[in-house]
Amino acid sequence: MASSKRERREFVKGMAFVSPWFIGFLVFTLTPMGLSLYWSFCDYPLTQPPLFRGLENYRVILHETDFWISLKNTIYYACMALPAGMCVSLGLALLLNTKIRGLGIYRTIIFLPSLVPIVASALLWMWIFNAKYGLFNEVLAKLGINGPNWIADVNTAMPSLALMSLWGVGHTVIIYLAGLQDVPTELYEAAEIDGAESFRRMWHVTIPMISPVIFFNLIMAIIGTFQVFAVPYMMTQGGPFHATYFYTMYLYENAFQNCYFGFASALAWIQLLIVVVLTAFAFWTSTRWVHYQGK
Amino acid sequence: MKKIIRTIILACLIIPAIALLAFGPRAKHEVPPGFVELQYWEKWSGPEGIQMAEIVDDFNKTVGKEKHIVVDYMSMTEVNRKVLIATAAGVPPDIAGCWDGQTSQFGALDALEPLDDLAREYGIKKEDYKPVVWDLCVYNGKLYSLPSTPASVALLYNKRIFWRNADKLRAAGLDPCRAPQTIDELDRYSDVLTFRDAAGHITQSGFLPMESWYVNYLCYWWGAGVWDRNTGKFLLTDPRNVAAYEWVKSYATRLGKDSVAEFRQGFGGFNSAQNPFLTEKYAMSQQGPWMANYIYNLKPEMSEVLVPKQLEYFLPHVAREFNYAWAAAAFPSAAGEKDAAFCSIDTLAIPRGAKHPRESFEFIAYIQRPEVMEKLCSLHCKTSALKKTSDAFIRNHMNPYIDVWERLLASPNAHGSPPLPTMAQLNADLKVFIEGVYLLKVDPKKGLEDLQKREEEQYARYNDRQKARLAEAK
Repeated sequence: MASSKRERREFVKGMAFVSPWFIGFLVFTLTPMGLSLYWSFCDYPLTQPPLFRGLENYRVILHETDFWISLKNTIYYACMALPAGMCVSLGLALLLNTKIRGLGIYRTIIFLPSLVPIVASALLWMWIFNAKYGLFNEVLAKLGINGPNWIADVNTAMPSLALMSLWGVGHTVIIYLAGLQDVPTELYEAAEIDGAESFRRMWHVTIPMISPVIFFNLIMAIIGTFQVFAVPYMMTQGGPFHATYFYTMYLYENAFQNCYFGFASALAWIQLLIVVVLTAFAFWTSTRWVHYQGK
Repeated sequence: MKKIIRTIILACLIIPAIALLAFGPRAKHEVPPGFVELQYWEKWSGPEGIQMAEIVDDFNKTVGKEKHIVVDYMSMTEVNRKVLIATAAGVPPDIAGCWDGQTSQFGALDALEPLDDLAREYGIKKEDYKPVVWDLCVYNGKLYSLPSTPASVALLYNKRIFWRNADKLRAAGLDPCRAPQTIDELDRYSDVLTFRDAAGHITQSGFLPMESWYVNYLCYWWGAGVWDRNTGKFLLTDPRNVAAYEWVKSYATRLGKDSVAEFRQGFGGFNSAQNPFLTEKYAMSQQGPWMANYIYNLKPEMSEVLVPKQLEYFLPHVAREFNYAWAAAAFPSAAGEKDAAFCSIDTLAIPRGAKHPRESFEFIAYIQRPEVMEKLCSLHCKTSALKKTSDAFIRNHMNPYIDVWERLLASPNAHGSPPLPTMAQLNADLKVFIEGVYLLKVDPKKGLEDLQKREEEQYARYNDRQKARLAEAK
């Protein structure tokens, strides 16, 4: 009886500690999500009450060219930024995991850009990409190459943004670094005794051992690339000629420019569905390539 | 010990919190008892915001004091979005300072209070306003807003560039002492005034259609339109619209789309000393009357050729223009219409659900007084919304060519954005279409046909929604 009283008291205490998060989740996440799901089936111009229209919004979305353009652009960006970000951050983490002088300075330098506010980064990169006075074209000109128009050209705008995304890999590098430092040194010693050179050690020891970290970063990157908004919105506003028109921009314009909140809610749910499907696919494949130490 | 530390930490948190609540910052002014406080949200920041705040102060000290009203002016970005969200949440400001586009968009969303009855009561009538200005305040036959500062669009040209290249212009049969008067002339001036370096990069251009803020509304200089309010039909495929965008395309073809894109990358921001018109990146521009203010503030020497600005008003009025290295004229009309122009206005409206609509209108009506409107429009370096302007308004105006913009605003060939509820969507689509034309990715005729189809679908969908709402209401 005494024990159950204590358990009850502890349960109440626990609930009291959890309640700020729980209330916040209920009010600011779950309720808006539930409402947006309902509104996605409505015509809802915000200043008038929502009017139930069934699947109308979803039907219209599938016939909208801007939907397909923005989805294609987002996938195109993800196909470039996601593998590039994963490879570059893993590569940097491997370099930072070596024992060299001034390692702390290098780590700081690599992490520092991810602390720069988004607006400042966007402005900085607009100048770096500037076709006339930009750093890239200045360097290319020194090599005798006529640089492209970067973000002002339909063909190079999206690859430019993907290139810029590498600027913020600092956080991912730190996560990789933590994973790398967790790899038992005995495994490397054993591999070395077996005659494995550095590439084979990395391929057969490092990669499998940090595969849960790679998997975590992959999931975060999938979610992140489908949410890209602020940087392209500031740098290109979706242009030139819709070359950098992302799914989130399409959603934002429908909500806040055209006041189609029902339509925008439907877009948000489709976005969530796509991310869930991709994440589920990643989880499904993970059984073949992710190795957990305890198993 | 632990208990003491815990108590000290708690005290350190609670005491400053209580102190902040008791003695912390308060609202910047106390509302006198018996006064109604109005929340006025405006888009203007910087000098224009300060100038509007001056007008608000004038109101608070005069009419406000007499009628027990205090207006609290709040400047903010993206005011239109914030007003809409606040209105939907049931906590709108009392007065919203938006653009004319919101009159039809918000009117269609039932987000604004109709002002017809109040306007009638205060003796504010259509006849007192320039026709295009009043039209921009009306949606579906109802008055939803009143103007604060209006403006028309004219052609600005850099006289220095013209003089410097006088021989070349004369050789091309053009007069270096005046602005182009036809589109053909504009193209010829532009060609003469475009220069490239040895590598073929553009160093200066005559005119760049894509640099205009009004490229979406070129139709009005070609005698066409985008939407007919009487029939509800879109006019995008009108051959005159096709011709307008063929003209845009001709610049990309003549100058080279990549060359232009690279050249434009070197332009500085509008509100900076690197403004391309001020740095002579181009010789001619489509702009509003406020440009006089920007030119004076950012490159004063262009407004003080003969004497310092302060002494300019001692010059005979006809001599004032010689003090300027720039001038203005009506933008040429391809349709041969006299004084064709696009006009836009800043508006004052009362959002639906505002707590004090009558008091809010008192402030809006105050702005409509001729002397107040002239003061505000002079400060903002703009034209007046009213038909009649005082001589002093024109004579003492900061912009020596204000008569050009006044004439354009009063012109029967002046047009504003049509009262189309889906105009925001059309503007966004037009922007993409024009980018496509300029990048030679879209054929103007085919592009306009596609655009028309798309806009018709959007509008039909809007009408369907309205019908469904009406049916639901019944």
